[in-house]
Amino acid sequence: MNLLLGSLTIGLILSLLALGVYIAFRIFGMADITADGSLTLGGAVTAVLLLKGTDPVLATLAGCLSGAAAGMLTGILHTRFGIHSLLSGILMMTALYSINLWVMGRSNLPLLSVANLTDAGERLANLMIGPQKTMMLMGWEVTCRDIGILLATFAWVCLTAVLLFFFFKTELGTAMRATGDNPQMIRALGVNTGNMIVLGLALSNGLVALSGALLAQFQGFADVQMGIGMIVWGVASVIIGESLVRTRRLGLAITGAIMGAVLFRLLLAIALRFGLNPNNLKLITAIFVFFALVSPALLDSLRKRWGGTKYA
Amino acid sequence: MLEVIGAKKTFNPGTINETRALQGVHFKLEKSSFVIIIGTNGSGKSTLLNAVAGSFFLDDGQIRIDGKDITRWPEHRRAAYIGRVFQNPFSGTAPNMTIEENLVLAARRGLFRSLLPASRRSLVDALKERVRTLGMGLENRFDNEIGTLSGGQRQALTLLMATWLRPQLLLLDEHTAALDPKSADQVIHLTREVVAREQLTTLMVTHSMWQAAHLGDRLIMVHRGKIVRDYAGATKARLRPDDLLAQFDEVRRTDQLDPTAAEMLRSRYV
Ligand SMILES: Nc1ncnc2c1ncn2[C@@H]1O[C@H](COP(=O)(O)OP(=O)(O)OP(=O)(O)O)[C@@H](O)[C@H]1O
Ligand SMILES: [Mg+2]
Repeated sequence: MNLLLGSLTIGLILSLLALGVYIAFRIFGMADITADGSLTLGGAVTAVLLLKGTDPVLATLAGCLSGAAAGMLTGILHTRFGIHSLLSGILMMTALYSINLWVMGRSNLPLLSVANLTDAGERLANLMIGPQKTMMLMGWEVTCRDIGILLATFAWVCLTAVLLFFFFKTELGTAMRATGDNPQMIRALGVNTGNMIVLGLALSNGLVALSGALLAQFQGFADVQMGIGMIVWGVASVIIGESLVRTRRLGLAITGAIMGAVLFRLLLAIALRFGLNPNNLKLITAIFVFFALVSPALLDSLRKRWGGTKYA
Repeated sequence: MLEVIGAKKTFNPGTINETRALQGVHFKLEKSSFVIIIGTNGSGKSTLLNAVAGSFFLDDGQIRIDGKDITRWPEHRRAAYIGRVFQNPFSGTAPNMTIEENLVLAARRGLFRSLLPASRRSLVDALKERVRTLGMGLENRFDNEIGTLSGGQRQALTLLMATWLRPQLLLLDEHTAALDPKSADQVIHLTREVVAREQLTTLMVTHSMWQAAHLGDRLIMVHRGKIVRDYAGATKARLRPDDLLAQFDEVRRTDQLDPTAAEMLRSRYV
């Protein structure tokens, strides 16, 4: 049960990553690999500030903003200097590796001894269920702390999703979506598409870094490697989400990305529990994303071959 | 209203693909004039419209709107003054966004885009009212993605979007060329209506001699990046499609004459 709670919480934390990747990948059609670096950056900045005794909320916010700045730089490389979007992301990710080491001072920072946002989760649980340490949930004994953290994360993810949904319905947000959909059209309607991309990548990487900041606090350490492969993870979540909700419409797509991230994490937890070697994790993820990416086309061709001309 | 002064543009200069698309174009539009542009394929009509809209910068020359020098303005800044409909029906709308979202985007052409909701009730109602006048039943499909519409429906909407906020200048680049005859007629009808109602200053490129003869109050013929004919007033009003075809032939004949004349001069003087 504790394993399930932990997986759910991490899944929810990583759903913020999925939302960030959704913005770059689905709104702008870019695979923005900056995410690998900005997730670590968010964790690193937050960890360092927490160790210096900064208020956890402020430290988390700073982590999020540092990621936004990284995304903004990627956007500037791409739009102002005309570097291909993939290459801009790679440049930024590479630079961030050194920057993260520099921020942290070494490759791993333990956070178990400092006050952080997980304590707030515990306080929340105590507020709701009283001062006891453990409680019964469906026949299992679980710590109130875990429940509190899970609920707080869930609430925060919901709030972020709702804010994001309404943002993409504002005048600015719709212009941003149109930039990804048809840049020529939206330029003719007076929008500076370069600025939209810079802003969008800032938003995207801000969410990714927030995810990293929360992850570091939840798992109790920040590590310079924690972001590696996270872009693939995010893409996997987005694609699983799309196959769950079967539409690219905004509201459902956002919900789908969150569900995808949680489901993906649960599946991996189960696989690990049944003896999957953790060293193979990234390989399995990559293979999985490969099949998820090609399966719509694959299914279509199979349907054509065996399903007759029903769809023709 | 619009002044184009000595506009020059060469694509891929210094390479084997060098194209001198505009070679010193010079003209001036009066306010509320409706100008038709004709010319053969590759003569530089689209390049001229794109230069005015700011898709690229001129190599030489100047563009002014209402006396303001906009030569170095980026495209999105000029959009405050200019409404556009493209040849390709896919170019003027965002296919994965709904009709409503596309329309409300256009309702803020050239204006600041805030964090207020884009779809406000009063605006959407007013847009629906206008879309109803297209007579296509699209007012009941505001939630549909615009990618599901036909080319004619999209062009009609793009025209509506380009003119919802009255533009100082309307640019139409063969906006009916991709449509079947019936849809083309419909869009031309709408064009006539909105240009007359709003007294729009309009530049319209077309390959249809019928449209060239029957629309507009001035006609410009472009050839090899230059203006070679310019008819206005009563002369324009008298032009028939056959006259225009005759003009094309004449321009082509002088064209053939030029290389021979050059050859003759060279043999005599070199
Ligand atoms: N972006 C570009 N890059 C390179 N060459 C270009 C570009 N745009 C136009 N050209 C070239 O400039 C010349 C003029 O093209 P333009 O599109 O203006 O012709 P047009 O009069 O609109 O022709 P059509 O009737 O076929 O639309 C052509 O030779 C074309 O190949
Ligand atoms: Mg053209």
